Amino acid sequence: MFDDYYSIWGHEGEFPHTPPQAPPGEPDKAPQQDPRNPGNSPVPQRVQGRPKESMESIKELGTSPVPEVKSNIHCLTIVGQIEGHLVLPPQNKTTKYEHVIPQLVALEQSPEVEGVLVVLNTVGGDVEAGLAIAEMIASLSKPTVSIVLGGGHSIGVPIAVAARYSFIAETASMTIHPIRLNGLVIGVPQTYEYLDKMQDRVVRFVTQHSRISEAAFRDLMFRTGELARDIGTVLIGREAVEKGLIDEVGGVGQAVNKLKSMIEEYKLRNGVPVQ
Amino acid sequence: MILYTPMQLELVFDGLEEMQHVPVREVKVRGVPVLVQDTGPGEGKVVRLLSTDPRDYLRSDLCPGAVVKLYQCTSKEGYYT
Repeated sequence: MFDDYYSIWGHEGEFPHTPPQAPPGEPDKAPQQDPRNPGNSPVPQRVQGRPKESMESIKELGTSPVPEVKSNIHCLTIVGQIEGHLVLPPQNKTTKYEHVIPQLVALEQSPEVEGVLVVLNTVGGDVEAGLAIAEMIASLSKPTVSIVLGGGHSIGVPIAVAARYSFIAETASMTIHPIRLNGLVIGVPQTYEYLDKMQDRVVRFVTQHSRISEAAFRDLMFRTGELARDIGTVLIGREAVEKGLIDEVGGVGQAVNKLKSMIEEYKLRNGVPVQ
Repeated sequence: MILYTPMQLELVFDGLEEMQHVPVREVKVRGVPVLVQDTGPGEGKVVRLLSTDPRDYLRSDLCPGAVVKLYQCTSKEGYYT
C-alpha cells in the first residue's frame, strides 16, 4: 500500500519540497556564495527534529547536563539475574547477554577505552550466558579489573575471576554450590552425567582463571552443613581471597587505581602509538 | 537452559505463565536498526539492538529499556513512521 503511495511521486525526495524559484521581476544575479558550501552543491535538508537536549533536561529533570568528559575506563555492570535464552518474568532484574557481548566487542575495538572495570552484584543465572560473558572478558586484550560488591554468586564466580585482577568488598559474598536441575528431568544416569558435564565447564573455567585448585573448588561446592537445606559454601570478603578465588579485598578506589596502573603497564609493554 | 543461581527457582520463574507476548517491530532510530515495543503514543521502548556496528552498543540512548521517540524512527524500509 505504501509502495503505491510513494511511487506516484517519482522519487521520494521531491515530494515535500518545491524547488526554489527566483522571485519574478528580479534580474538574474549570481546566487550568494555560502561560505560553508563553496561548491554550491545542494545543502542537505534537515529532515528530523532533534530535541534541544539541555533545555529538555532543565525542563523535565531540573538539572543541567554535565559537560561530557569521556573516561578512558569503561564500567560494565553485571547485576541481577544473568538472562539466558529465556526472557525472565519482569520481577527479575536482568543482565542481557545479547547486549553485553557486542558491547565487549566494541570495548576491545574502541581506541578511547583503555581499560574495563567489571562491577558485579549478581545472583547468578544462565550457565551458557554467564560463561559466554566470562569468556569474552577473559579474552579481552585490554586490562580488566573486576570488583564484587554485595554478591557474586554461582555463575557470577566465573565472571569475577575472568578479569585479569579481581577485588571483593569486605562484606560481599560469593555462593559456590552445585548446579541444580531445572526443567525436564528424566531419572536416568545420563541426566546426572549431563549435569556433571555442565558443572565441569564452570569448574574448569574458574580453576583456569584463578589460583584455586580444582579439588579445593569442588570441596567448596559440595560441602554440607553450611547452607541450610543445601550443599555449598558462602565465602565472605576475605575468605574468597584466602581460598585463592579472588586476588584482593578492596573497594572501588583500589580497583580503579589498580586498573590505572595496569593501563600504564599495558601502554609501556605495547608502546604508545605515534599520533 | 540451566539456571545456576542460589535464588529459589519458584521466585525467579514466578509469573512466567502470565507473561504475554508483546508485539515488537523493527525500526531504525537515526539509522540504527532496533527492535522496539510500543509503550504509548509516539513512544517506544528499545527491546534489542539489531545493529552490527559494535559502537552502537556503547550508546546509552539505545540500550535495552531506553525510551525512543517514534518521530526519530524510520521503518525498516526507510519510510517515516
